[in-house]
Amino acid sequence: MIRRELVILGAGPAGMAAAITAGRCGIRATVIDENATSGGQIFRQPPKSFVTSDSPADDENAARGTDLRKELASLGDRIELLPATTVWGYFPQRQIAIRNEQGWQMIEAKQLILAPGAYEFVPPFPGWTLPGVMTPGAAQSMVKTMKILPGKRVLVAGSGPFLLVVAAQLHAAGVEVVGVVEAVRRRDILRHFPDLLSNRKLLGQGRRYYRTLQQAGIPFHWGHLVTEAHGNESVEQATITACDSQSRPQGRSTTISLDTLCVGYGFVPRIELAQMADCHVQYSDLLGSWIPEVDENFETSVPGVRVAGDGGGVAGAIAAELQGTLAALAALHQLGQLDASAFEQQRTPIVFRLNKLQKFRRALDQIYRIRSGLLDLALPDTIVCRCEELTRQEVETGIQFGGTDIPTLKVSTRLGMGPCQGKMCWSMAARMIAAQTGKSIADIGPVRVRPPVGPLEIADLLNPQLLETS
Amino acid sequence: MKQTADVIVVGGGVIGGAVAFELARRSVDVLLLDKSLPGRATSASAGGLWPVGEAVGLGCGIIHHQSRAASDGISSELVLPTVFRDFLIRSNECFPKLAEELKEISAVDIEYESEGNGLFFLYFNEDEQRFVETIASGLPGGSKFKMLDANEVKQLEPQLTDDLLGAAVLANEHQLNPMYLAEGFKRAAIALGAQFRHNTLVTGLCREADRVVGVQVGDQVLTCNTVVNAAGAWAGNLAAAAGLRVPVFPVRGQIVLTQSLPHTLSACLSTSGCYMLQKKHGEVLIGSTTENTGFDVSVTAEAITQLCRAAVQTVPILRNVGIKRVWSGLRPGTQDELPILGPMENVTGYVNAAGGFRTGIVAAPLTGRVLAQAIVGETPDVAIDPFLANRFQRSTAAFA
Repeated sequence: MIRRELVILGAGPAGMAAAITAGRCGIRATVIDENATSGGQIFRQPPKSFVTSDSPADDENAARGTDLRKELASLGDRIELLPATTVWGYFPQRQIAIRNEQGWQMIEAKQLILAPGAYEFVPPFPGWTLPGVMTPGAAQSMVKTMKILPGKRVLVAGSGPFLLVVAAQLHAAGVEVVGVVEAVRRRDILRHFPDLLSNRKLLGQGRRYYRTLQQAGIPFHWGHLVTEAHGNESVEQATITACDSQSRPQGRSTTISLDTLCVGYGFVPRIELAQMADCHVQYSDLLGSWIPEVDENFETSVPGVRVAGDGGGVAGAIAAELQGTLAALAALHQLGQLDASAFEQQRTPIVFRLNKLQKFRRALDQIYRIRSGLLDLALPDTIVCRCEELTRQEVETGIQFGGTDIPTLKVSTRLGMGPCQGKMCWSMAARMIAAQTGKSIADIGPVRVRPPVGPLEIADLLNPQLLETS
Repeated sequence: MKQTADVIVVGGGVIGGAVAFELARRSVDVLLLDKSLPGRATSASAGGLWPVGEAVGLGCGIIHHQSRAASDGISSELVLPTVFRDFLIRSNECFPKLAEELKEISAVDIEYESEGNGLFFLYFNEDEQRFVETIASGLPGGSKFKMLDANEVKQLEPQLTDDLLGAAVLANEHQLNPMYLAEGFKRAAIALGAQFRHNTLVTGLCREADRVVGVQVGDQVLTCNTVVNAAGAWAGNLAAAAGLRVPVFPVRGQIVLTQSLPHTLSACLSTSGCYMLQKKHGEVLIGSTTENTGFDVSVTAEAITQLCRAAVQTVPILRNVGIKRVWSGLRPGTQDELPILGPMENVTGYVNAAGGFRTGIVAAPLTGRVLAQAIVGETPDVAIDPFLANRFQRSTAAFA
């Protein structure tokens, strides 16, 4: 085991900002990220070995990413960066088990900042397991990292501003985007428009993406859902249906031909490590997910463990950066590297900026919250738990036979026992239990998480000398 | 006052499920109460059906013994009494029919696999070979080991390492899915008229003088004529709440499960460092530690690493395989490694179905049957006297 002052898990906006804050203060943070290059999903980069001719900064986000990355690089030795490294477990006293190609190691951190980001939410619907159906984030990664196109004719569906970004990026990359399907109705947005005006910069960004799509003649279907994907070997068509304010399909359906279907209804925080660390989590109805409880310094119920960025409740890259900075300042204060007055002085302006984002963020959360109709698209024979290939009917039967809490349902059906540990199926299962029992989703509870939370080979464990002891 | 049920079974693991199932098919009004506590042994278990193997200390037994007495080599002192071995053998014989019955009544497939090569104890040196030979000499005719040399073993299990010396084989020792066994018992019991309440934590037993009259669930009392204590590792605590001494304690076992693999192993493997079996869904399960760490269900990197090392030494191909999950479970342990079954002296309305330790899965069918028989007043197929709780009082008295 090795010891470190400050360990930061994740090198997206929150993690990068935290590391930079620490570096400026003279603390050498250890930053662990599963990707080969820092930046997270939003600032995702192609591998260094790729030689491409396009200009690197194609939008404002990418430009900010370049800045952060430069600043990180300027820290030189004042940061310990472990790319292509995953965390597979959390053990008591802030011990983190990590692995990469060299093997594994246990790191005990005096202060720990979790900045794991979020994953995309996709409710089960008929045909969603067909090849060619993917999340918008997956399509985006293909374009950003590998410089390959996910398909020729792509439909981007789901909910949230991220759809605009991905559709625009796919279009710019030369894909025929055959449409964007947004579950929210245009009038649902107008209702919250005054609050959106609180941040004209972000609103303007969204409008620019929207305008780009319109100028390209890409059809935009407000208030529609993909209700079914069809195809033999892979997806060939999608049925889209108009929906009501609760995202329940209601009204006319049309069928669209395509070879790739991107579906994602926003983001869910990755909380596995916080859960393994025994941090208190609470259910957020608005986000439709569990989030770790944190105080004003982003410290969880476990002393010395902080959560910043989308992993603590999805708030976007700008908020993530500010949260990462604040979490790092608090950690540095705890480590005795920042006295109380310096801490307050540096903290105050950032808190102010973060608060200013609140109104806009709340409006987005309201507009794009996961509505109940989404969790009712699966038919009896639709796979709900993809890892264990359980259909909705099989899960219903498990609930009827007393599987009316997650642990019981899990042992009676294998739901959530696969590699994803319930990330994909929990929302659906919890809602099905709620429907049959009248319990609230919060009472049903999250899935218990066990190691490993990331990829881990037996060979990794047999080689326990990843870092020099120091 | 109307009673909640004639019999209340506390604990919905394999043992409680088996008792409820056997009572329900004897038309007893039975209520099964369950609370999926972290560490419940049924969900954590490997699902090996190794009656002779476990009785002579293979599986977790030898790993435990090995770690305890690493310096003195292995001896045969971990062999359990023949009365229990015979109980396990008889219970194991129930599975082919039970699997069909449960499928018919509850539609649950318990994934009973009887086509495998059996249980292999693999030995790597002459010490270990002598150990199995000593054990083999004590076994009755029908349950004898078949001894194979390295070549013969490799023919049957090509993925095994070249380093082994040979194997002792118990051809009738197979496996199933322990969670589905519990689920099958539960659903079959419900189909036959039993009631089931999940997520119900029994916090105490209600006792009136020398009689147990019900169970406490928070501030609610559920009344009955007989309480069956099948609370697994928690059985001792439950009994203690009513002033009864049922010496069951949690014995932690850590387990590693690989990702799903193509067909790799036909036999269940036991070595002095780990046991291994490939489950129906393709994962290879690697077990298991035996630790006295109370109700702590965490896993340790040391134990996981040790199990993986032992597994790779035995089946080298596992080296580059992904780990799907690691977990730990709490075996309901007893001092003499035998279960604690049946009624207790000086109290009525109470029956133990406790102390399944590392043989709860294989023992479940017969345990369920003999306890149900005892409760309804039939003569049990197998005498439960050797497993009564009062054996501990006697031994305490002897020490005093």
